[in-house]
Formats: sequence, structure tokens, C-alpha cells
Amino acid sequence: MIGNDIVDLDLARLESNWKRKGFLGKIFSLQEQCLILDSSNPERMVWNLWSRKEAVYKIYNRETGIRGYFPERLQCNYEDETSGTVSIDDFIFYTQTYITDFYVYSIAVSEIDFFNKIQSLESLDNIKKNDGVPYILDVSSNAIAPVSITHHGRFQKIITLRQ
Amino acid sequence: MSREATIEQLKSIVKPYIQNQEAFDSLTEETDFVNDLRINSANLVDVILDIEEKFDIIIDNESMEKMVNVKAAIGVIEAELLKE
Repeated sequence: MIGNDIVDLDLARLESNWKRKGFLGKIFSLQEQCLILDSSNPERMVWNLWSRKEAVYKIYNRETGIRGYFPERLQCNYEDETSGTVSIDDFIFYTQTYITDFYVYSIAVSEIDFFNKIQSLESLDNIKKNDGVPYILDVSSNAIAPVSITHHGRFQKIITLRQ
Repeated sequence: MSREATIEQLKSIVKPYIQNQEAFDSLTEETDFVNDLRINSANLVDVILDIEEKFDIIIDNESMEKMVNVKAAIGVIEAELLKE
């Protein structure tokens, strides 16, 4: 399974005040809050960790059917700016994060070798939804491939898993 | 506080964050914060913090987990108000 999440940094600045009292505590563990506050760019670290949690939540939600708002329970094991894992319950997921001056973008997978099979899609054509979960039908193999879509402000990213 | 009054107060709290006016105008207890009102998930934290401030209650993470729609939020608010 795959999940992705993008944060448009300009829009995030307008929409959210991460310095608001109580904000970090609702989303991040003490360890994650230390990472943020010790970072040379705390704002970027907020959205880096947030996008990992959001991308992983999409997988967790699809695999367990559990819906809820528990960002703090999705625990980031931060290896470096671009990679790490996120764990919740007995699950562990792998993340890769891409950072530019304009956005922070994370992809999460349930098995690490899925990173080699991630394919970007340019349009929503042929993407169908089952119970709100997007997928695409590969016409040659007649197999269903999972799709994850993220959209924030100026940016949209669509990924699928190549068979 | 009556349930109607609680819902009205909750409406005024979520208003700045909604991205679907139509769903907001026809809000019911079944209205979902993310799927219907299109509230950005990072802004859900602001909704929770605003609820804490306006109702003068504390919402722990266990309660926050359930707060995906109006009904669940009202349930948490009412339970916390009863504790006082």
C-alpha cells in the first residue's frame, strides 16, 4: 500500500500558525517536538514530520479501516531530512520526503521495496474510486493498482504502484 | 447548555476553517469535518484548540481521536462540561 502528502509552504503559512500555544503538543510527541525546536528551520521540520504522518495515515486508514484524528500516535523515527519510518500500533511504514523552497512532499509505503515501484501520474484520467479510495485499472494486465492523491495549494501529486 | 446552543457555538468555531460553504450552511450532527466541510487536517488542531478555549475544557488525545464529525465533537464537549 502507498500514501502521499504534500504541503504548499506558502499556503501553510497562511492557514496554520504552528507557533500557536498547544499546537505542537496535539500533533507531535515530545521527541518530535525536540527535533522541531532544535532544527535550524523549525517551520520546515513541522511540515516535514506532518507530511510523513499524513502520508502514513492514508495507508493505515486503508489497511485497517480505522478513521480518526490521532497524529501524535503516528510516531516518526527521523533518520534524516529525506528518510525515516513511522510506526503506529504494530505497524511500521517507510517514508521518503522531498523538500523544495515551495513544498514539502512525503511518500509512504508499507514495504520498503515499493519505493522502486512508485510511479507518478500526471492526470486523474482513468482513476476510479471505491469507498473514497482511489485506484487505477491497468488495462494490459487487468490488475488493480492502488493510487494516492494529494493536493494542497499550488501543488498536486498522484502516485501509483507499478505492477 | 442546550445541544442547539453547543452546535451553534461549534459552528462559529469551525467557520474560519471550512472550505465547503454549502455543507456548512446545511450542517447537521452527521456532518464530517474533513469529508464534508473540507477542513484541512492541520486546521483540525486549531478547531480542537479553539474548542478548548471557548468552552474552557481540556481535550485529551484519546477524545481528540474520535472528533471526526459534529456529533463526536459535541459528545466530547458535553462529556467534558459534565465533569465540571
